[in-house]
Amino acid sequence: MSVVVEGLEKRFGSVVALRGVTLEARDGELLVVVGPSGCGKSTLLRCIAGLEAVDEGTISIRGRDVTRTRPAERNVSMVFQSYALFPHLTAGENIGFGLVVRETPKAEVRRRVADAVALVGIAHLVERRPYELSGGERQRVALARALVREPEAYLLDEPLSNLDAGTRVEMRTELRRLHRQVGATMVYVTHDQIEALTLADRVAVMHAGRVRQVGTPDEVYRRPADRIVAAFLGTPRMNFLAATDAGAFLAIPEGSELGVRPEHLRLDGDVPARVELVEVAGGDAYVHVTGGLVARVPADARPNEGDEVRLGVRGADAHFFDVATGERVGS
Amino acid sequence: MRAGERRFGGLRQPLAVALAVLFVLPLWFLVAGSLREPGTVPPRTPELLPSPLSTAAYPDAFDLVDLGRYLLNSLAVAALTVPPAVLVASWAGFALLLLAGRTRLVLLAVSFAALMIPVTALLVPRFTLYRWLGLTDTWVPLVAPALLGLSPFYVLLFYWSFRRLPSELIEAARLEDVRPFTMWRRLAMPLVRPVTVAVALLAFIASWGNFLDPLVYLFDPDLYTLPLGLRSLAVLDRTNYPVLLAAAVVATAPVVLAFAVAQRFFLHEDRGAGWLGR
Repeated sequence: MSVVVEGLEKRFGSVVALRGVTLEARDGELLVVVGPSGCGKSTLLRCIAGLEAVDEGTISIRGRDVTRTRPAERNVSMVFQSYALFPHLTAGENIGFGLVVRETPKAEVRRRVADAVALVGIAHLVERRPYELSGGERQRVALARALVREPEAYLLDEPLSNLDAGTRVEMRTELRRLHRQVGATMVYVTHDQIEALTLADRVAVMHAGRVRQVGTPDEVYRRPADRIVAAFLGTPRMNFLAATDAGAFLAIPEGSELGVRPEHLRLDGDVPARVELVEVAGGDAYVHVTGGLVARVPADARPNEGDEVRLGVRGADAHFFDVATGERVGS
Repeated sequence: MRAGERRFGGLRQPLAVALAVLFVLPLWFLVAGSLREPGTVPPRTPELLPSPLSTAAYPDAFDLVDLGRYLLNSLAVAALTVPPAVLVASWAGFALLLLAGRTRLVLLAVSFAALMIPVTALLVPRFTLYRWLGLTDTWVPLVAPALLGLSPFYVLLFYWSFRRLPSELIEAARLEDVRPFTMWRRLAMPLVRPVTVAVALLAFIASWGNFLDPLVYLFDPDLYTLPLGLRSLAVLDRTNYPVLLAAAVVATAPVVLAFAVAQRFFLHEDRGAGWLGR
């Protein structure tokens, strides 16, 4: 067990940011904490780093209780959303800064900086200052600075959110490769579900200061624990039908509602509907039909606006959620 | 093109020149007046260049009073004042940044309150204190305020500039186990270099032009600073304007020089001092 958080509570005045968060990032695992803005995911990361004092609960890293220790004593590295590179230092000086202030022998600083820059592929950039680097290069410098410390865990706070779409995809792959190569425990915070689902060994979905579900990307997507997780993950979001409307598709458990992912809403079923809008997104088309439902179909098999279609849902693709609690019903 | 440039178009340059002339003119008349022959009657109308030109007023000024000593004294007092003022003000400003919210608020309020107290209101209690300590007729009363940052304004200036640094920089340093002093020295100060130069310049001007404190605390003419020297000159030869102006030029020159040296820190942006790749 590498990073374990138990019953964490954090309040900012009257605002409760974390409500009894319990979470574990296993040794060598890349755990992605995902959730909408303001759900408390960055606060959680900052609590683990020691940048915020916790009100209740405990944090342990490799079995050592670090709840009340200073950030530096936790031996974690953090990569910030803004990279937090020291602008007056070169990339190389940024990377080795922590080692230099800890009076590490010069030869060792040189060796470790060289190893880190080689790992992230920026050996040719060490003499440049941050303003001379592109967003992706700055991100690599920030990663190298985190790597050079050889910490017990890495904390990454939305590290890709300031990058353009192309660089983001490139860096995502790079991060995945880096994690496999280093084999370290990483806690990665993002609001981007695609990032979460593609990067993570396991995903923790947070909402309103609580962890709603922890599981593999496949688990949280295919078997969301509740309505909130189901609604948050997936583009377009899951369709929800109240019992009265859902009855036309399937028999549903009493007191629950039906959830269907757009890719599972078929257009060759029995329930008549009219196509109101068709959005083409590359290879897929989002078909909006009467009743506010959305189906995702291959773009070359899309109907036209105004067409009559017949909707259907396979029993295996249906999700049921308790109307009162929002929790998943059945298997 | 920015909005201001569009609005003023071709007028921008002449306007800038007109403004510059407005500020340079008094200095010009100061220098021009010092180049008249000593003892001559002041001109009735503004005079761009006196005729004949003479530099005789300068040696006269140095002969009438010990201007050289006063100049050195002023330089010594400034040299003793400026470095501690900058150090302490920046330490205090950085400490304000690192302090917890409530304590910081209280100290900021105290700084503002201190800023609002007129210097003259403290003159008598300060004089009493220094006399009780036996420190009058020494430079200590002139230099001692630098040990408190010279003015709360400088502390606040540093605090405001440190506050502009992204908090992640400080947090990244905390994670690297960088202690506050190292943080101040290696991260914060290099990033606020223009403010440091500005505070140093303001402290220098404050010390250089300080007339009241030397007047109150110094009795021995050997300890006099330049403002007191100018005062002595005005008393000794009240109507000899070329000599008075020559002494004023001597007193002004170091300040102009300091500005000239410092301006490159303001006018030439050190891109490395920006953050987030600015």
